[in-house]
Amino acid sequence: MKKLFLILLACLMLAACGSKNEDGEKTYNVGVLQLVQHAALDSATQGFKDALKDKLGDRVVFDEQNASGDPTNCSIISNQFVANNVDLIFANATPALQAAATATGDIPIVATSVTSFAAALGINDWNGTTGINVTGTSDLAVGALKKQAEQIVELFPEAKKVAIIFSSAEANSVAQAEEIEVYLEELGLQSARYTFSDSNDIAQVAFNACEWADVVFAPTDNAIASYASADQFSKPVIAGEEGICKRIGVATVSLSYYQIGYKAGEMAYDILENGKDPATLPVLEENEMSKMYNAALCEKFNVEVPADYIEVK
Amino acid sequence: MLQIKNISKTFNPNSINEKRALNNLSLTLNDGDFVTIIGGNGAGKSTLLNAIAGTWFVDSGQIILDEVDVTNLAEHQRAKFLGRVFQDPMMGTAANMQIEENLALANRRGAKRGLSWQIKPEEKQHFIEMLKLLNLGLENRLTSKVGLLSGGQRQALTLLMATLQKPKLLLLDEHTAALDPKTAKIVLDLTEELIKKNSLTAFMVTHNMRDALKYGNRLIMMNEGKIILDVSGKEKEKLTINDLLELFNENGELNDSIVLS
Amino acid sequence: MLTFSSLLRALPGNVAQGMIWGIMALGLYVTYKILNFSDLTVDGSFSTGAAVGVMLIINGVPALLAVIIAFLVGCIAGLITGLLHTVLKIAPILSGILTQIALYSINLHILGNKANQAVNVNEYHLLLSLRDTNKSILVALLFAIALMLILYWFFGTELGSAIRATGSNEQMAKAQGININLMKVTALALSNGIVALGGALLAQYQGFADVSVGRGAIVIGLAAIIIGTVVVGANKKEHNFLLLLGSAVIGGVIYYIFIGIVLWLKLPTNDMKLFTAIIVAIFLSLPHLKIKKKEKKDATN
Repeated sequence: MKKLFLILLACLMLAACGSKNEDGEKTYNVGVLQLVQHAALDSATQGFKDALKDKLGDRVVFDEQNASGDPTNCSIISNQFVANNVDLIFANATPALQAAATATGDIPIVATSVTSFAAALGINDWNGTTGINVTGTSDLAVGALKKQAEQIVELFPEAKKVAIIFSSAEANSVAQAEEIEVYLEELGLQSARYTFSDSNDIAQVAFNACEWADVVFAPTDNAIASYASADQFSKPVIAGEEGICKRIGVATVSLSYYQIGYKAGEMAYDILENGKDPATLPVLEENEMSKMYNAALCEKFNVEVPADYIEVK
Repeated sequence: MLQIKNISKTFNPNSINEKRALNNLSLTLNDGDFVTIIGGNGAGKSTLLNAIAGTWFVDSGQIILDEVDVTNLAEHQRAKFLGRVFQDPMMGTAANMQIEENLALANRRGAKRGLSWQIKPEEKQHFIEMLKLLNLGLENRLTSKVGLLSGGQRQALTLLMATLQKPKLLLLDEHTAALDPKTAKIVLDLTEELIKKNSLTAFMVTHNMRDALKYGNRLIMMNEGKIILDVSGKEKEKLTINDLLELFNENGELNDSIVLS
Repeated sequence: MLTFSSLLRALPGNVAQGMIWGIMALGLYVTYKILNFSDLTVDGSFSTGAAVGVMLIINGVPALLAVIIAFLVGCIAGLITGLLHTVLKIAPILSGILTQIALYSINLHILGNKANQAVNVNEYHLLLSLRDTNKSILVALLFAIALMLILYWFFGTELGSAIRATGSNEQMAKAQGININLMKVTALALSNGIVALGGALLAQYQGFADVSVGRGAIVIGLAAIIIGTVVVGANKKEHNFLLLLGSAVIGGVIYYIFIGIVLWLKLPTNDMKLFTAIIVAIFLSLPHLKIKKKEKKDATN
């Protein structure tokens, strides 16, 4: 028993010395806490890490943890980061931010993929900064559908008929269809809905849609995101978001999770190296949406991609 | 004491398995009657006991127990009038509770159960005295889990529990059938002793004709949901196994288990 | 960074969280072990407790009172499962699942039609918080001890022993004049009340209520009970009921210490659920393996 105690003590003392920097410059330990394995969140984490690596090179070490979709795991991971006394915590998604912000009032926290920092942190008088050890980038995407409708005109000026394909069982898809129909009409385009309730019917419905339309629009729809494939569409598809664009679309206007992650990484750099205070560093709430294109499908449909487009990866 | 008026019960009505288990059966029991019931498999012996206990409701007829109409009372509501011992020794006791806890549960049969402690100190002494009567040494194992007892011990305990609060009627459903002959004899003698001592009215279903003749003051034979023989007192004492066998033969209901027993 | 000291420093947080889940496991113990009823309501009622607790606190209700009200609301959830089972005769597992599904919508309503509500430790006076893990351990321990004593007392009363009899042998219970339906409903209400109380504590601890916070709660609760049973050896002998209850809390703590070690070892977090399943499977099979080993030993002797 005594021996065990001595060993524990020795370990404690060793740890107290900590990891010293090699050539005078400090190496940062950054805890990365992501809520769940998810394409968008994965991109954001990648963007964050890329930004810090671009700025700091190998002077940053990441401790990457994923709560596997279980919000309560966020607490146990945050607790671990605080115990390890990391230099900064990157919290990806709302429960991750909440757990981290509860775990520590001192260690800087940079978050992303959070729609409202005010709601996530329970701050009633929101003025753009948190006033505590938290800052980051929001994933608020306003006006995406309008921009996507405009994109159809931009890329396909001759198009007259737009087929909207989605699962009638998803309320969110129906709402998106209703909204974009208004924009399409304003732009002088004719539109029609092509819906399915069973994902086995996607191929047939896609065929009918392509028979009728010049361009197909696929909103943010879980069934499409999971089951549709590019060869089901003989006409170009404008997608509701990045992931669907990668799967079946020629282009989209979408929030780039990689970008908001990258911007969060830049904020983390400012905090670590330039001594910025997260309490006064404004949360980035206005997101520019990026025009994106799918290189393979653009080639297939002979779409000329304007210069301000970025490639979906 | 007990009046059964024209009760009928059909299981699985309107199906291929339809079975008329009780057929317009009537019976009156007097105070202090110790009735043994015999009959072939499916004659309705256990069904009759279950009808009285309220395991389910009868389709028609009336059951009146000591001037209380219990026909529409749920099983747990009738329990305050009845002491029950089942064929399966596991059925009558709570295996993962202690002996004294089981007795305390039985001591409150039919009473309101509130937030006072489950066993009062003065009860314990009473339990010890009662357990001594069983002659099984259980009085020294008050806090043992019942699951550790043998089948015979559990059946004896169940019997004690059934009579701890004097029931208006004791229902014994082949309660020695699962025991070895020696243990069965001990439990049967104990049954008779408890019935006599507390002057209970009792029903005892049995497969064993000797037991049916030996115990009780009245004997009932059932067939196809009806009572086909009802003898008591002197008449019952004169009855022999051969008489019973003949009756069975007449009804075409002779089966191995009866002959062998 | 794989130093033993970082594991030690993370220990208080793991213990605190484990103890809160241990409190939840106490609730599960009532149905799973005492009533012998596999109740899946808990995934929903745990979130309900979290939601009710947080919404009350941010609307100015003192934290302790909020926890007590969360308990009562949890009781109602259990009551509904009980009525589905006893009155409408729906099978136990289905009754629990139905209530659990319904609670998902109800929990969203409680949270003001949001999936997530924060309760900021800087702005509200909370009973416990990840910010102060030592205090959290103390508070959780006090709750656990209080609940254990209450359960110990309750299951020693006439009513409590009638519930135990119902769980042990329904036929016997009915023969003793016990209304088994009433007992089941009572036990389910009590159980889910405690589970919701655990949810209200966890929400304060982590600083938010999330509609999916209770997802998989039954697995963690069962793991806590099973681990506790094995570690305390409670299945071997006749044990004091208080010790059995304590084993559930200890099991919760051990479970989260294990999770802490999994994280500390930097095992790939994508495999976290796999490790969780393996841990529980090991503890589930331990008693069986022990018996086998003993049989072998006896055979060779």
